[in-house]
Amino acid sequence: MKTLKLTAIAILALALVLVLFTAGCTQSAGPSGSTTASTASGSSGTSANGSVGILETAGVGPMPSLLATGQVDGYIAWQPVVEAGVESDIGQVAVYSKDLPPAGEWSHHPQNVFVVRKDFYAQNPDFVNDFSALNLAATQYINAHPQETATIDADWLAGGQNFTYGNVSVSSVTVVNNSIPTIEFSNDPSDSWKASTSNFVQSLVTLGTVKGFVANSTDQDAVLYNFQPYTSAQAILASKNVTTPAPVQNTVGVGYLMAVDHSALFVAVKDWQYFNDTYGIALKPEDLTAAKPSVADFIVNGQKVATVNLVPANAGPNLMQLAATNSIQMSYVGVPPAISAIDQGTPITIAYPIDNLGTGLVVANGAPAQDWQSFVAWAKERSDAGKPLVIAAPGKGSIQDVMIRAALQDSGITVTSVKV
Amino acid sequence: MTRRLGLVLPILLIIGWEVAAIIVNNPFFLPKLETVIPVLLSPFSDILGTGSLFDNALVSIERVVLGFALAAAVAIPLGVGMGRFGVLNDFFDTTIELLRPVPPLAWVPLALAWFKIGIVSIVFVIFIGAVFPILLNTVDGVRGVKNTWVEVSTTLGASERQILTKVILPGAAPTIWTGLRVGFGIAWMCVVAAEILPGPTSGLGYLIMYSYNLGQINVIIAGIIVIGLIGLIVDQGFRAVEKRWFGWRGLER
Repeated sequence: MKTLKLTAIAILALALVLVLFTAGCTQSAGPSGSTTASTASGSSGTSANGSVGILETAGVGPMPSLLATGQVDGYIAWQPVVEAGVESDIGQVAVYSKDLPPAGEWSHHPQNVFVVRKDFYAQNPDFVNDFSALNLAATQYINAHPQETATIDADWLAGGQNFTYGNVSVSSVTVVNNSIPTIEFSNDPSDSWKASTSNFVQSLVTLGTVKGFVANSTDQDAVLYNFQPYTSAQAILASKNVTTPAPVQNTVGVGYLMAVDHSALFVAVKDWQYFNDTYGIALKPEDLTAAKPSVADFIVNGQKVATVNLVPANAGPNLMQLAATNSIQMSYVGVPPAISAIDQGTPITIAYPIDNLGTGLVVANGAPAQDWQSFVAWAKERSDAGKPLVIAAPGKGSIQDVMIRAALQDSGITVTSVKV
Repeated sequence: MTRRLGLVLPILLIIGWEVAAIIVNNPFFLPKLETVIPVLLSPFSDILGTGSLFDNALVSIERVVLGFALAAAVAIPLGVGMGRFGVLNDFFDTTIELLRPVPPLAWVPLALAWFKIGIVSIVFVIFIGAVFPILLNTVDGVRGVKNTWVEVSTTLGASERQILTKVILPGAAPTIWTGLRVGFGIAWMCVVAAEILPGPTSGLGYLIMYSYNLGQINVIIAGIIVIGLIGLIVDQGFRAVEKRWFGWRGLER
């Protein structure tokens, strides 16, 4: 009898919770998109051209969900999250980064670079040069075999399985396949590349995230770059003559992000046999069956030179923290985190680019934004209506954050930070 | 009967979840059971290239056990000392109370800098989570041993060592065990915190954070359920031991 009573009470309580919960959810899910955005950026100033709120999210992972649940009106992200939003029918690309204003400034903007700790390069020059040759060879591979690269990336990022967003499941291979053409894989530290990187430095100084060594330096090139590994790597590939480095005693840590941008590492590890046979340099995974190997042997001319730990992180600043504490010695990383780290005195140097472009602004399906002009018009319209747009960007000072702020300001739109 | 009653709410919750998911009809808020169950039903197949649920659970358990064992190895002797000798207690107490409220997650940046990437920093974060409940319960247990027992043994000529092993430790054991039970629970909670450290490419916490970075909500929920289930099973084990060996405490009251 007593148990029965208890059960009855439990059921009643549960029913109550259920009703409250569903009521709460349906209400917030109801008037798609726009309402939540207005409350989020209520404090924004009203300029003639309107305003847009930037919401800083931790990483890009939650962005498609935020857009699908109407908590933001759009997001600016790196690949594969741009194409993932499109493929899963959540949104459409309003504009890719190359078409962002000021006109021409971002047409080949730097995205990721390869950084090396200075002390490590001084002690192991041959190792770094050979590793760099492998990176350059991997870039050639990506450009020559985009299909194979997509399959390798999808395997690394998602075990080749589907991504599930809401009710929609999309093939990771398709998503990566669509991502690759939006990225320019190149290792060439050309003058225009350096000029574009200087734009980033300027933007970071304006944002207040860079105010140390780099900001105060009269010779920024000397502070930021050492292209010696790039020049040596080119010579190695041209002469097909690889020097076997002295074995590295300690395990070498190499940082990377789960991004299509870092495909060079993924193809070098996954198709190690090809690089071994073609160039005599290989990064052979110790566990050949793992989707994302964590340890690999660096092999030159058939001889194992070092054990390499492949260290993933959620965002570039985490990788730079690891480089600062010498937990990793080299890393694939976005340009702004690398600049900020050098600015703060981390003893690393930018050795060469990894890729350019590869950022996109995604808005909800059906939003009146097909290019930058229509996006700006939409932003003004929404701002005038008292519901300014809210755009998600991954972390202050990230490439995406810097670019969207600069672009909005260039179009005369006031940028506000959404406080949560 | 009580056992069966305990199952009523979880079953109702599952039904309620599905009903709510149908009413809400927005899988970003609440995915339906159908998207989560397949993940749970194939614990041996690979998820997003991070390994299977089973493999990841095994890795997490291994790390938690290491961190927990280390915490117990430090906390129990220290706790016995602090409980038995006032000087030790006065010496350590302030520092412990200063460090105790710091969430294990706050140690992550330092753990990485001190112990580098790898198992040591993970175990450290779990250790921090588990050490304090075990320590405080041990101190409490040792202090709670009846004075009359200690006095009687002193009168009968017992040495300090004999008092410790024959009176204090057995007398404090039930409270220490409770400390271990709570400590393990917290250690298990810390697994997510520890496994978001850069470096690990396996573990339930890693699986959850990795799925989060790819926005895969169904995998996140499956991971949460597995963490909960393992926690429940381990706790049942602790309780069974408590009942079997420390049942006398109930009589003593």
